[in-house]
Amino acid sequence: MGVLRGDRGGQVMLALLLLTAIVVPLLNLAVPEGNPFHVSTFTVTLLGKYLTYALLAVAVDLVWGYLGILSLGHGAFFALGGYAMGMYLMRQIGDRGVYGDPVLPDFMVFLNWQELPWFWHGFDLFWFAMLMVVLVPGALAFLFGWLAFRSRVTGVYLSIITQALTYALMLAFFRNEMGFGGNNGLTDFKDLLGFDLQADSTRIGLFLASALALALGYLACRWIVTSKLGRVAVAIRDAEPRTRFIGYRVDRVKVAIWTFSAMLAGIAGALYVPQVGIINPGEFSPLNSIELVVWVAIGGRATLYGAVVGAIAVNYGKTYFTGAFPEAWLFALGGLFVLVTLFLPRGIAGLFQMLKRRKADPDAGDAAPEVAA
Amino acid sequence: MSPTMDKDRDLLHRDRTFDFSAQRQAWLQFKEAMRPDRQFDFMIKAKDLELDISHGPILYLEDLNVSFDGFKAINDLNLYVDAGELRCIIGPNGAGKTTMMDIITGKTRPDSGTVSFGQKIDLLKLTEPEIAEIGIGRKFQKPTVFEHHTVFENLELAMAADKRVFPTLFAKLSGEQRTRIDEVLGTIGLTEHIDREAGALSHGQKQWLEIGMLLMQDPLLLLVDEPVAGMTHQEMDRTAELLMSLRGQHSVVVVEHDMDFVRSLNSRVTVLHQGSVLAEGSMDQVQNDQRVVEVYLGE
Repeated sequence: MGVLRGDRGGQVMLALLLLTAIVVPLLNLAVPEGNPFHVSTFTVTLLGKYLTYALLAVAVDLVWGYLGILSLGHGAFFALGGYAMGMYLMRQIGDRGVYGDPVLPDFMVFLNWQELPWFWHGFDLFWFAMLMVVLVPGALAFLFGWLAFRSRVTGVYLSIITQALTYALMLAFFRNEMGFGGNNGLTDFKDLLGFDLQADSTRIGLFLASALALALGYLACRWIVTSKLGRVAVAIRDAEPRTRFIGYRVDRVKVAIWTFSAMLAGIAGALYVPQVGIINPGEFSPLNSIELVVWVAIGGRATLYGAVVGAIAVNYGKTYFTGAFPEAWLFALGGLFVLVTLFLPRGIAGLFQMLKRRKADPDAGDAAPEVAA
Repeated sequence: MSPTMDKDRDLLHRDRTFDFSAQRQAWLQFKEAMRPDRQFDFMIKAKDLELDISHGPILYLEDLNVSFDGFKAINDLNLYVDAGELRCIIGPNGAGKTTMMDIITGKTRPDSGTVSFGQKIDLLKLTEPEIAEIGIGRKFQKPTVFEHHTVFENLELAMAADKRVFPTLFAKLSGEQRTRIDEVLGTIGLTEHIDREAGALSHGQKQWLEIGMLLMQDPLLLLVDEPVAGMTHQEMDRTAELLMSLRGQHSVVVVEHDMDFVRSLNSRVTVLHQGSVLAEGSMDQVQNDQRVVEVYLGE
């Protein structure tokens, strides 16, 4: 395939993804419980969650690794996609809620609201909700990007604004008056397209959908970075004024790729919500966005597959650590980040490349060209 | 009583006069635009982008003035560059050479004066990318090639093409474009380095690559800022050959400090001093000009 030419890491990653997507459901369905090879539904869902994180990390790597925009607010687009999905799932509950109102979700009945706010209309339709999953984060990213990039806000200033963006959204979504369930968020989902969310088959379906979304998202990003536009993006990352000077509309390139990345993050969020069963304003927390940048840094910037590796490795570590030593997790994450920055500036992917070069040419050492910060 | 009512009442005072000057201005503009013998603005613009060099010069700088915080960087500057000409601009530090380049490329706006490309295109009305698009390319003092791209990719990025987002996303290199890149690679002498990362090139090679990137845009006018700073003698000779080979097909303006290099280009020389033209002519004429000697050697 054209877009994967020369992308050894991506080929291996996609092959492993395909293998996982075949083996995991088999081990879950065909191997009886109690057998050591049985994969529990809990694990399937956990893996599905990791895959949505991986897609989110790919979206971040696209703008950070290839365009040089360090977004500390990508969690916001993820959460918006998640909320759009959550609203659909809320509407699907119908009269099965605690208060039994056929239209209003429970929290609205609780708040004594008489009718559905205007922005909740249409979310009972799956296609409309899915459209919103990409359009809402996309529109926000477009507006934000249009304002920021046209004014040539770059570097650390832009990062701070993205951080402020997600923080502001978090505060807004915490308010009950916003109509998104306040600090409890949206939860207690029943079914998706008529499939019971608690059923094993639905869980596997969601896991497979996440794997497919990751694969397609990866290929789309790979297609962009191997196109001429991708080379323009890297040129912007390395020498923005120069790129402007040879006639590219830097602001438009940035807005386009940034918006695409936000849409991808929205899709990841939409797949995440039915698997974890809840979306609340905590997802907008600035800390989340910073953490996901750490995944990409640990996996290796500007490789795309590194983002996938980083997201899965760090989240596996998180699951393990928060189970075994709950207090130690943040220290472990911080330590990992420091170690990677000091010893593996190109992340895990950089380690692979270094080993490969060593094997090919034992004298070459680690004279790898540094990616400009 | 609320403040808005106060305001309304104030508006209704009989002795109040209304200020319609803004509306009047707009009306006058409208009337001017609707004059039967006048064309619409958007049509004029399209027409103006045709380069007209029938009178010889491709670049006109007239009565330019720029000051930064009271310091006059450009002072009543008048300069003409002919189509196809290779022109050297020399002058001591602070003579306004770089500011002049900034004005031509749209980076700095002058306080007064006119800058036109050919007879009809008013450069002061265009933005930086638009100026690049109509055929004015600039090489900066410090070589700024894209270090993580190969020599080939550097030229490909600089190539004259539809540079909007979606056409760029779907762009495929045509055979013609490929030939053009090979041609420029030959001109700048980097054919054998085609797949090297630009960051790994020598200083001189980077400078040539950058000139090559300018050539890829098929510019009518090339502005070259101190091309030989930091070069070895061989590299300088090579650069002189390169620039002279462009004469005729492109108009080239070279700003340079190195007198030997300027002499080797064998072209018309303009001396700038304190923001205006001090002398103009061949290198020999200029070097024997008493005022030039004073400026360079002190009184």
